[in-house]
Amino acid sequence: MRVKTRVAEFLFPIETDSWLTVLRLGLGLQVTLYALSLRTDWAYLFSGTARKVAEALLSLQGHFIPSLGWFVALAARLDVPEETVLLLAWLGLFVSGCALLVGVGCRFSAIAAWFLHLCAAKSGGFLSYGMDNFMTIGLFYLMLSPLPDRLSLDWRLRDLRPKNPQLLGFWRRVLQLHLCIIYFFSGLTKWLGSGWWDGSNVWRALIRPPFNVIDPEILVRWKDFLPLAGILVCLLESGYPFFIWSSRTRKIWLLGVCAMHLLIGVAMGMYLFSLVMIVLNVAAFGPDLFRRKRQPIMLQPEAATS
Amino acid sequence: MAEGPTILPLSFKNFSHKAQELISIAPAEQLSPSNPVRESVDTYVQLAGIESGSGYFAPNVPSGYTLVFELHYKDGRVEYELPSVRSAAAELRMAGLLDNIGRTPYDELREILVKTLAQSIWRKHPELQSVRAILGSLTLPSVREFEQGKRESYEFLYAYDFSLQNASAKKNDH
Repeated sequence: MRVKTRVAEFLFPIETDSWLTVLRLGLGLQVTLYALSLRTDWAYLFSGTARKVAEALLSLQGHFIPSLGWFVALAARLDVPEETVLLLAWLGLFVSGCALLVGVGCRFSAIAAWFLHLCAAKSGGFLSYGMDNFMTIGLFYLMLSPLPDRLSLDWRLRDLRPKNPQLLGFWRRVLQLHLCIIYFFSGLTKWLGSGWWDGSNVWRALIRPPFNVIDPEILVRWKDFLPLAGILVCLLESGYPFFIWSSRTRKIWLLGVCAMHLLIGVAMGMYLFSLVMIVLNVAAFGPDLFRRKRQPIMLQPEAATS
Repeated sequence: MAEGPTILPLSFKNFSHKAQELISIAPAEQLSPSNPVRESVDTYVQLAGIESGSGYFAPNVPSGYTLVFELHYKDGRVEYELPSVRSAAAELRMAGLLDNIGRTPYDELREILVKTLAQSIWRKHPELQSVRAILGSLTLPSVREFEQGKRESYEFLYAYDFSLQNASAKKNDH
């Protein structure tokens, strides 16, 4: 019974919505930048044979996995061309990202952003990479969490309140556990890889096109630091589930992991990937760290006056 | 772990293969694709974004692939072009697509994907007589090799010839 209570307390802690604010704002920015970054190539990437092949392969895994092909097929019955459908999908994604940023129609915007991004990620199956998975994971948790949060316009202007605020702690805990699993296995696999101990994998990652943002001539001057960088990456990732929970080591580990993602973004040009990882980390473990300690309220009786 | 080089002894590779098979049973992968349980599980993992683990270049950073188009004009001119996109974000995705083209074990799928890219080249240059798509794997130099003057190199893998008269490609292996 005691174990059951402790498990319940761990899974359903009492929680404020500050982590949800970070997640909403961060993913709103992420979705908006994602849409803007692909604006000029959107139609090229998601039209034609590659999309149809990806969707055909996807249909083998399930008939209820959304894709842009659903909209294209529906619109074709109404004689609406594919280009128009793709443009509307892009516009929908951009608008839902902006709406999440300001907190208007939070629940609907989160569902729309998740759904439209998922459609694009699945239709562009051969073009997708890790960043798409993490966006899907983040948006999936965001749309299930008790929205709106206190800083959203829905709360402030429309006076809307979440229906199940008691689930705030649960969804944050799920996100925390999910990140621990991801980092632990990523770190463990790297330890076992042959090229992370001597830094050769760091070198290869940094000179491999299209991630070769830094000139290899500059990198080679720092070659003695490559093994250290490789071991540090493995240590940060595999140590994540062990050091992120304790209040004494959480700050250093969170800052370390965020710095690692920031460096990946700058040194490899993977800005959106870095942003989504930092957003997920800060939402999961950040809000308590940087909150200022409140002064305890003194409740002393006033001096009696006669 | 079962595929790439690791610090573990070779005998561990057999264990990794067995573990891989065992893990594949867990998400109902042994069931028929039309089985409702398998379809439900597959759909859920796709909707939640957890259908594949992200290893962040683990256990090792793989080699990349490149695709070069040899454009043959009607007047006999020959030019070379790489598949191009406008934005840096799309460039990352294009690199992923080339990796998928290079790694897929299915020849037909590889041909379809190369053909898709060739079609966009054709739309850009309608005066072309034929297009040859050459797929190569990228070999990266180590730090020491780089210091000795060695740079990235490409190894020929496949070539596909496309022409307007002949819709299906003629494939040349290495």
